[in-house]
Amino acid sequence: MKYRLLTLLAVIALVAAACSSSGDDATTTTAAGGSTDTTVAGGSSADTIDIDFWVAFSDEKRLGYAQDRAAEFNGAHPDYNIRVTSFASYNDVFDAAVLAVDSSRPPALIHFFEAATREALDAVDGDGNKIFKSVTDAIAGRTEILGEPVVLDSVVSAARDYYTVDGSFYSMPWNTSSTVLLSNMSILEAAGVTEPPATWGEVTAACEKIMAMDGAPAGCISWPNHSWHAEQALGQQGELLANNDNGRTARATEVFIDSPGMVAYVSWMKDLTDAGYYTYTGLQRDWGGVDTLFLAEDIAMQIDSSSDTLIHQAEAADLGFDFKASFMPRNEDVDYVGNLIGGATIWMVDGMDQVTEDGALAFMNFFSNPENAAAWHQLTGYVPITDDAVDLLNSEGWYDDEPNAKVASDQLAAAQNTPASLGALIGNFVGIRDVITLAIEDILVNDLDVAERLGQANEEANKSLQEYEALFGG
Amino acid sequence: MLIVGLVIAALVGPLWVWRNIEDPSVQRYGIGSAVAVLGAAVTPIAMGQCGFAENTSSVDHLFAWGLMVGGGWFALAIMKAVFDRVDGKTQAGSSMAGEIRTRGFRLGWWVPWVLLSPTLIILIVFLYVPAVSTFTLATKLTRLGAPKSIDVCFGNFTELLITNPFQLVAYPLIAIALVYGANYWSNHSTPGSTSRRFADIATPIAALSVFVALYAIFSPGGGGQVAYRPVYVTTIIISVGIVATGMIGGLAIAYLAFRQIGGGGVYRTLLIWPYAISPAVAGLLFFMIFDPSAGIFTYTMDNLFGVQVPNYRESAILAQLSIILASSWKIIGYNILFYLAGLQTVSTDQIEAALLDGASAWQRFTKIVLPALSPITFFLLVTNLTYAFFEVYATIDFMTKGAPAGKTSVAIYEIIRIGVNNGDLGRGAAQSVLLFLAVIGITLWQFKTSGERVSYGGS
Repeated sequence: MKYRLLTLLAVIALVAAACSSSGDDATTTTAAGGSTDTTVAGGSSADTIDIDFWVAFSDEKRLGYAQDRAAEFNGAHPDYNIRVTSFASYNDVFDAAVLAVDSSRPPALIHFFEAATREALDAVDGDGNKIFKSVTDAIAGRTEILGEPVVLDSVVSAARDYYTVDGSFYSMPWNTSSTVLLSNMSILEAAGVTEPPATWGEVTAACEKIMAMDGAPAGCISWPNHSWHAEQALGQQGELLANNDNGRTARATEVFIDSPGMVAYVSWMKDLTDAGYYTYTGLQRDWGGVDTLFLAEDIAMQIDSSSDTLIHQAEAADLGFDFKASFMPRNEDVDYVGNLIGGATIWMVDGMDQVTEDGALAFMNFFSNPENAAAWHQLTGYVPITDDAVDLLNSEGWYDDEPNAKVASDQLAAAQNTPASLGALIGNFVGIRDVITLAIEDILVNDLDVAERLGQANEEANKSLQEYEALFGG
Repeated sequence: MLIVGLVIAALVGPLWVWRNIEDPSVQRYGIGSAVAVLGAAVTPIAMGQCGFAENTSSVDHLFAWGLMVGGGWFALAIMKAVFDRVDGKTQAGSSMAGEIRTRGFRLGWWVPWVLLSPTLIILIVFLYVPAVSTFTLATKLTRLGAPKSIDVCFGNFTELLITNPFQLVAYPLIAIALVYGANYWSNHSTPGSTSRRFADIATPIAALSVFVALYAIFSPGGGGQVAYRPVYVTTIIISVGIVATGMIGGLAIAYLAFRQIGGGGVYRTLLIWPYAISPAVAGLLFFMIFDPSAGIFTYTMDNLFGVQVPNYRESAILAQLSIILASSWKIIGYNILFYLAGLQTVSTDQIEAALLDGASAWQRFTKIVLPALSPITFFLLVTNLTYAFFEVYATIDFMTKGAPAGKTSVAIYEIIRIGVNNGDLGRGAAQSVLLFLAVIGITLWQFKTSGERVSYGGS
């Protein structure tokens, strides 16, 4: 009897774990751990139209901003009720949205990051209809919706060009940033470096001085091993990540991960690592780890998203070191072409009735009206998303007081408008980005040949892209 | 090919009946033949004979043949169970049903089914349907939200293996031959003889050859194949590490904590606490201890002793050790709980008798306590292995994210990375099936080997 009972327990435990795991992980890919709190802002009565807005932020500051704007909008438009739902990540929002469309309960507005652009355009429901509607088409030339002025035409060109596909501006930009170099000027100046380095060679030279001085920090520079940084380096050098003009004149069917520009970038990164200048946190996409190093003054410089500029500036002031933001260092051996944007936009679901859709459109335009876009920039350091917002900030004298806040906008304005500096639209971009960061980690940690390992990554990434195209390419 | 296979099945069926069933009647030979054909035909027909299609590789053919053999064998095994029951060789119901009968209940045949139906419905909806769709998904190339899917037959499996069909067949066959050979040697040698002693050494070595064979058949990558060999090696290292550390540590602590000590109750309760922590929190805790820039341990070592602790995420050994440490720390409370309960059942008479006979503490532990705990150990082995295989994802995700370069990316971590994060449902499903089969295989093997040695004290 004892034997039977124990055996039975063992078998039940085993089968339950095995089946549930294999079942869950592969078949029902839900956004587990995604949705956290739904905020119903404003009073909801029977007559109000609910408009769900799914946001991929869960931090107090950025989610709170969205919730506050929703509450303001609801106050001004009592017919509508914008409901903000928070998700842990962009991937969670995307998966949840696809499943919600399948079960005919999609939210009106969804917050997606730039890498999901191709997949958002390709997304279809169970009947094969496109899930998302072009915001330009929906606005249909109107200059005002429900009394909210349309701001789409005022969106800064870097963001407009990125999200314009086949001539149509599909989604409403919200948080947009670029990569900037943040320097601890106290350390740089102690080492006799007066200006933040502008090129790869200058970074190496500055690091040499910094690491040679007495009381040198543990490392000189760091940035997250994120594919976005590699893509920035490609844009700067004017090289394409994917064919068909980075997937902008036609669908991308091939990626170039072992291109000369990529090899040059990773080789520079590896040389810095081998010299002990670059500190690798040991984790892929480790934004937080690099921030910790920089704020603990374990490193003198970090290449970060401009969205952190003002936050780090405030922290640096608290910690008592001089802080400066500057352009992302570039490869001095080739002509500079341009840095690209990163961040996310708001996508609108197709198939809503006109009244609901107008509410959603009005909210999006309200959300990025000059005052709100300027406030969002001042809160975080994301670039002001419209030219009107930039004008507003200028008239307030904001940039005179905060020169660091302007770096990202200036960097984007300095870019030539080529497919290379616009960035790529690729299917399965998230998976391909993983291939790139894994290869870089392998090279940094295991001291591998750069070109050979990137060649291997290129094979994997192309296989992945071809499979995506076989499923979605029509 | 299908026809050839089915003809072979029709002939092998009766042969099997002749070997495995006593005094079969003519009908039974016929049934055996039909059942074998049916079993062999299920998978090729369900999959549209894709494994035999023109453009497929010899490895695909092998897979198709393997599934036909497996299907036929499985069908025959079920048939034997049915025959045995018809012949009255096995008890029709469980002992509980016997109890009910002896007390004179008269129940319709449908009553148990009605009573079981809520459980059955839950099992079907939440276990069997997803499990079956996992198998279906494993034969497809598809993504979440994709408008279509493409049948890839066994492609999601064969890309994990080496491409040489002869090696693919030879390595597992050699391993199986070694296991059976060692078993035969052991059974046919006199206990206590030199030959038997060598056989006893050969048996575990033969068992290890199974793991070596699996290592050999998983692809090292390149040539369009997926590098699954590193994942396999990582999974073995980390799983064995977790189970060994967790169980040996659990037993050691339980044995120490079992003594009569002041405040023992409180102390023993505290020992169990780590089990209440989720794998994610365990990962976060150890991350905060060992993180090179913000970790408590690294900070203390640096500031108190001037020792620079290396970044655990940049060394394969340190990364794997840290995962093993965090995961076994979490499961150790569970093991202590069971061992504490088990220790209470160890006969004090035997211990006292051994004490009088002058047995040392170590001898008492190894000769009396350990064998008495063997049922608990067996149970814990299965649950710990399940934990090591399926529940370490969150710990790894917090501590290393698979770093350095995949050296801590175990099977379940790969499945979630590929199937969920990258949305590649087909490959994720195929690897789930693989992990599922691995657990079934290891458990069956444990039942066979440990089961023989487990002592339940004669009840």
